[in-house]
Amino acid sequence: MRATLAIASREVGSLLRLPVGWVVIALFTFLSAVIFVNGTLIPGQPATMRYFFASASWMLIPVAPAISMRLLSEELRSGTIEVLRTAPVSDSAVVWGKYLGGVAFLGLMLAPTLALVGVLVVVGDPKPDPGPIITGYIALGLVGMLYLSIGLLASSLTSSQTLAFLGTLMFLALMMVLSSVVPGAGSVPEPLARALVSIGVQARVRDMTKGVIDTGDVAFFLAGSAWFTLLASAALSSRRWR
Amino acid sequence: MILVREISKSFGRVRAVRGVSLELPTGQVAGLLGPNGAGKTTTIRMITGVLPPDTGSVSIAGADMGSQSIRARRQIGYLPESAPLYPEMTPLGYLDYRGKLFGLDRRALRRAAQKSLDRCRVGAMARRRIGALSKGYRQRVGLASAMLHDPPVLILDEPTNGLDPGQIRETRSLMRELAQDRTMLICSHILPEIERTCDRVIVMVAGQIRGDGTPDELISGPGAPARYTLEFRTNPSAGASFGVSRLSTVAGVASIALDDRQPDDASKGWTRLLIEGEPASGDLREALGGAAADVGLFVRELTRRRRSLEEVFVSLVDEAQQTPNEQALRGGAQA
Repeated sequence: MRATLAIASREVGSLLRLPVGWVVIALFTFLSAVIFVNGTLIPGQPATMRYFFASASWMLIPVAPAISMRLLSEELRSGTIEVLRTAPVSDSAVVWGKYLGGVAFLGLMLAPTLALVGVLVVVGDPKPDPGPIITGYIALGLVGMLYLSIGLLASSLTSSQTLAFLGTLMFLALMMVLSSVVPGAGSVPEPLARALVSIGVQARVRDMTKGVIDTGDVAFFLAGSAWFTLLASAALSSRRWR
Repeated sequence: MILVREISKSFGRVRAVRGVSLELPTGQVAGLLGPNGAGKTTTIRMITGVLPPDTGSVSIAGADMGSQSIRARRQIGYLPESAPLYPEMTPLGYLDYRGKLFGLDRRALRRAAQKSLDRCRVGAMARRRIGALSKGYRQRVGLASAMLHDPPVLILDEPTNGLDPGQIRETRSLMRELAQDRTMLICSHILPEIERTCDRVIVMVAGQIRGDGTPDELISGPGAPARYTLEFRTNPSAGASFGVSRLSTVAGVASIALDDRQPDDASKGWTRLLIEGEPASGDLREALGGAAADVGLFVRELTRRRRSLEEVFVSLVDEAQQTPNEQALRGGAQA
């Protein structure tokens, strides 16, 4: 566990020492503020962060791959994976450490947006209900965790950060199309359409930003994250045999 | 301390390592030599647990790398070729990270990091960004991280890569100091470095061990042809060819040639010859001296030449490369 935490902490530290980390945080914060000002701070509208959470979950589609693309790809490219593998640490500890590092960075990235909540509390009348705000942040965290785990898998498959980024982005776009566009086509059989809808992320986020926490939704995100992280671990281990 | 039994590794159709076995006891410094593509790095990767062997086993300080991998890896300090590091970290931060991976507690880690940095003479750079350090310093940070947890086994792949001559000398003396109470396996292309640092040399060619012994054993090993330098003067009318023709009749002499570097006083009739004995022909100095005296040659020098490790290395590589060719020819003839 100590090794996993050491890997996670090194990962966060590295992201914060590199321009890419600060660019991602700055860009996400800036876009969040723009969305907040244009979609939430509207006179006469109820004081709710729902629009922000819905938009932020879309923003995570390109942002999460930008965080996850270097997690393992960079180790594979630079050869530091060889040093890491000779340390008394299992492949799964390496992958979970990387994942936790990515999730911690996601938390750091979301933290500045709490200032937007502060603004809403100050200017909103009536004051916003804290319940949907808390569940909204939980939703953003869960979506980010799922996307990061998918990005981690892509990052374990290639030593190119660009490929890892594009691969994750395309996978997330495919997931979105399959879950929201395809089921609407008349020719798709009903059971398949239902299955495709169930892998949709945005509908689950919508429910959670209303203050509704469905254990099924939480389980979907946690199980999905665990599944892709385990796949990344298996992919890393399989490199030993290639 | 390092026990390797019949390990093999293939990548697709390429058989990178074929049935390599070796045993390195505590306190031994062994050098692993071989041309590019000989399978050295693959062997080292299997010993350090980076790659699993297809067949065979590796044991480090009694821990099997297959079934007790974590315990085995705890015993190893490893410096890969070109010392890959995180450029955004500082050497101190990097050692702190490595120490945590090896489970060192905070106090022991601080002490060990300082000691390693000082031993590798990189303490002054401890708080600079690794990416801003020269290649030599980065190599030393890699070495400091390999010895951080005071491992009983050190495996160094090209440890003096990128170092200047002064740093190479310091690193060699550090390696000798470290070797006193631990097992070391050094992989290098620099033959004089191996000869000076290692008390055992293992030569790999085409995935197999072709030579294994102390540098002296390899240089004067059985089957190694003896070489002699002979300087003589003869009657100017007879010429050097007279001496060559007489000496070539001595039993055990395989070949005689004029040395490229003739004596300064060659104009006075002095000639230097290079004589190669047949394998296992023993010491020919007495026979050569006697033959020279019998035909009236004035000999002022007769020396048995010591082969260099480089010559041994080249002959082992040539021998290994000829063997498959001969086998192919024999196979072709039978077909």
